[in-house]
Amino acid sequence: MTNCVWCQQAFQPRVTLRDILTWRPLPVPPLCTRCQDKFTPITAQHCPACGRQQETIAVCHDCERWGTAALRNRALFRYDAGMKAYMQQYKFQGDYALRKALQAPLQQALEQENYDVLVPIPIDQQTWLTRGFNQVTGWLRGQPYQQALVVRATHKDQPQSAKTRAQRLLTPQPFQLDPRIASDLVNQRVLLLDDVYTTGRTLRHAATQIYLGGAKAVTSLTLAR
Amino acid sequence: MNELSEFFGRRIPAKAAIPQLGAGMLAVQPVGQRYRCQRCQQWLAPTDRLPNGAWYCRQCLEMGRLTSQTKLYTIPEPNRFAIPAEPMLTWTGTLSDNQQRAADAVLHLVQRRQNQLLWAVTGAGKTEIVYPALAWALARGWRVAWVSPRVDVCLELAPRIQQAFRTTSQCLLYGEQSIPYAYSQLTVCTTHQLLRFERAFDWIIVDEVDAFPLATSPLLQGAITRAEKTTGQHLYLTATPGEALQRQIRRHTVATTYLPLRYHGFLLPRLRVRLAWRWREALAKHRLPPALIRRLRAYRQAGQRFLLFVPHVRDLTTVMAALRQADICGGVGVHAADEQRTAKVQALREQRVPFLVTTTILERGVTFPNIAVVILGGDDGVFSTAALVQIAGRAGRSADFPKGEVTCYVQSQTRTVRQAQRMIDQLNRQGKQRGGRWP
Ligand SMILES: [Zn+2]
Ligand SMILES: [Zn+2]
Ligand SMILES: [Zn+2]
Repeated sequence: MTNCVWCQQAFQPRVTLRDILTWRPLPVPPLCTRCQDKFTPITAQHCPACGRQQETIAVCHDCERWGTAALRNRALFRYDAGMKAYMQQYKFQGDYALRKALQAPLQQALEQENYDVLVPIPIDQQTWLTRGFNQVTGWLRGQPYQQALVVRATHKDQPQSAKTRAQRLLTPQPFQLDPRIASDLVNQRVLLLDDVYTTGRTLRHAATQIYLGGAKAVTSLTLAR
Repeated sequence: MNELSEFFGRRIPAKAAIPQLGAGMLAVQPVGQRYRCQRCQQWLAPTDRLPNGAWYCRQCLEMGRLTSQTKLYTIPEPNRFAIPAEPMLTWTGTLSDNQQRAADAVLHLVQRRQNQLLWAVTGAGKTEIVYPALAWALARGWRVAWVSPRVDVCLELAPRIQQAFRTTSQCLLYGEQSIPYAYSQLTVCTTHQLLRFERAFDWIIVDEVDAFPLATSPLLQGAITRAEKTTGQHLYLTATPGEALQRQIRRHTVATTYLPLRYHGFLLPRLRVRLAWRWREALAKHRLPPALIRRLRAYRQAGQRFLLFVPHVRDLTTVMAALRQADICGGVGVHAADEQRTAKVQALREQRVPFLVTTTILERGVTFPNIAVVILGGDDGVFSTAALVQIAGRAGRSADFPKGEVTCYVQSQTRTVRQAQRMIDQLNRQGKQRGGRWP
């Protein structure tokens, strides 16, 4: 028996025959099946540009509107009621323990990506003080990353989540490169990591700065779309 | 009231620095090798730590996160209330003789500063029985909390108490509300909300004291104790005391007022048990017991509204589908996480839907004037003796329709079901001695 990190109920982890035959300590799953089922993985039928779940594999309407400012994003889960409830507790209530819930799927996804440098989207100083953690790096389990971006000190702003789509698209560049790390980006393939892809505005601002640092390719991965 | 009144009898974080509050205390404090939350008094796990070094409490997180960097402030309760000269009680109803006797007993015990229990059957009108004692307490300038572990109970109660004590300042507190806190003489709230109070109340009335999750939660029991002044007292209200409370009653360790008769003087509907062979297996094949179908069809034809209780949330869709198949249509399903729960209950009350299929969430706190009650799978473990008695207690509550049918379908007669029948029969025997009669 183990306790689910989200609902805190005790549950019996499922053990497969292969788990037994491989003869190594079983990984303890963080979530009970009920909580696990609150997440909806995005299937193969998604927009190749932003990773949104849809009926076809054609570029979606929102991505077409971005035109030449293309950025290839991949997303793991749909941003549905279950994911919103998770983000609410993890990010906004600040339940750091919930990071464990999505560490394993993120690890799997990172193993499938081709990149040289992983760059998580940063949080600003105020958020660091109040929340006490970066929700994006919380999902990492020791995978190496570079905090190449920092939030500009002058960037005082309401949170993205409080804005309309039109307001979000007008958001000015919030990031700058950390000069100490910038040189590590030259000629590298960079993978940006963020929690939710909503309009793609934030990730494109980040990509712009990473390219300025000399990266040869920038793609992104988000937990939800 | 000034900004300080928010801290009267409470222990809460401050949004801005207020010099009069003093140094405050750390919300999460080291005690020996471990850390303890000063709001919910629970111990932190060694992993409950943030990358910025702070410790945080997960147990009371939904009330706003507290960390080892948060400070809590309190101002001792000053009982700063304006007491009007006219009577506090603006309720115009009357109590039955039995209710009046119980009300006198409760008042008497309050005046003697005793902790007490009011055990009154479902539909006895226990809220109104407390009114005279509450009026006396409010007139003396006491700060009072009327709390329940169930938010439905609070929501139903608050407007009634508002009407009954119109001159008293009141506030209603529960999890998802948006109305800001206001310092008031009378607070109606969920037991959870008491975690924000400290030595505030002269009297705490705990409604549905046996209800989940209070009965099994040391956290909530502790919250009641800490919210009560050291000179304070409490009154437990219940229709179905749990075993621990029943033991205390038998041993006379708690002063008990007992009312085994409904306010309208009619006895409780009996719990009729019908055998339904392998209802669980049948349900897996999307089939309902034929006798149940016949009964519900008859209710629909007669225009009789009903509540159909099922054991689990996952049973709702299956049962709803099976009902549609049997041409019993128009009802809706309700469960604890249902956002439209209140609206659906209201729809049944206003006769806009003919029936609800529900989990135990509607076992208490809801009243419909003329309702038949049906339980599918009363032998399932989720239905405790108290739950069955409460569910049966939904029927026959109105003086105009005192006769209510309660039918429970089971695979076999379990101990719980028999105990529930026995409790109802026993209450009725005692009710008869007080003049109760069959409708
Ligand atoms: Zn869970
Ligand atoms: Zn797209
Ligand atoms: Zn706590």
